[in-house]
Amino acid sequence: MRFYVIALSMAIFLSSCLKQSIPDAMLGKNSGGQGKVTATLSYTINGNAVSISVNDADNQITNPYYTLGCSKYGGYYSLDGISNSGETAFSFYTDSLAVGNYKYLGTYGDMFFIDYYNTAEYAHAPSDSMSFNITSYNNGHISGNFSGVLTPLITASTINNIFGDPGSVLITNGSFTNVPVFY
Amino acid sequence: MSKGILTLSLLFLFIIQANAQLGVMKLVGNNTENYQLGFGAFIKAGVPVSDAGDVTLEIGVNFFPSKDAGEGTAMCPLKAGYRYTLNGTGEGFYVEPQVGYNIYGVTSLLDNNGDNVDLKYHGVVLAAGGGYLFSIGNVPIDINLRYETVVAHGGSNNMVSLGITKSFSFGRRDQGD
Repeated sequence: MRFYVIALSMAIFLSSCLKQSIPDAMLGKNSGGQGKVTATLSYTINGNAVSISVNDADNQITNPYYTLGCSKYGGYYSLDGISNSGETAFSFYTDSLAVGNYKYLGTYGDMFFIDYYNTAEYAHAPSDSMSFNITSYNNGHISGNFSGVLTPLITASTINNIFGDPGSVLITNGSFTNVPVFY
Repeated sequence: MSKGILTLSLLFLFIIQANAQLGVMKLVGNNTENYQLGFGAFIKAGVPVSDAGDVTLEIGVNFFPSKDAGEGTAMCPLKAGYRYTLNGTGEGFYVEPQVGYNIYGVTSLLDNNGDNVDLKYHGVVLAAGGGYLFSIGNVPIDINLRYETVVAHGGSNNMVSLGITKSFSFGRRDQGD
């Protein structure tokens, strides 16, 4: 009897050492026990570097906006990053985010992706596109790469937006690592 | 509130109507600050196997509302245990280890749109506790305190539970030994 009491007590003690609650484990919070995670996003826009890095990305300030993260909404996930040059955004149209390629074409309709020093870059022309590859999705964090061709919005109007040269904005060397997915 | 929690709430009411036992409990561990004091209803029965010991079987529903409206956690553990009274009479102070299976567990959260997200799980249940068995008239009463953990998906929900219960017993101990 004493043996079983001791064995069960040890089992309970050891299981209690699990640092995550079940919901947190299912959502992949707390970095899967990896400690603080640094999330990054970087790319070049017509040769000019944009870079975002967030230490302890799981616990970043979220009010009014987090600096770098991916949030779930109804029917899609939105990856958003804020840098000194402006904002970067990409929507993954899926109910369940997974490793794979997500592409948005200019033929789908005008879509904002990047604000670079107060110039908004859109997928607008038929030849425009943004392509995101999620290469890993572990412990609630996504990593991958991206590239694209966009068109600058010159003048925003309530009737007709005026765009610049079609396909004149090249997004290259895009990569993101350990971006937390928030629910 | 999710269908899962609603279902378990109905089961909770059913168990209360079945003259079951009640307890209050508190989730402990990381990221549990947002949960209020929980409550549970359970049916527990014991079969004497010796002067000092009973094999027990227990099924219950535990519900932990969150401080955030529309969120919470519910679990439905089924456990078997061995209740050993320290003085060897079947009454008085006892210790009781339990093992079992979480038949159904659900944590309901709200996503950024305010839509409900249900995280469903099962898992192994381990518990250890103690208490005091006594009788008022012919009614056996059990005051108990236990620590319980549910392990699933690489995480654990841990709780401390305090209960005062009317215990059911099937079978009799030999009298006059």
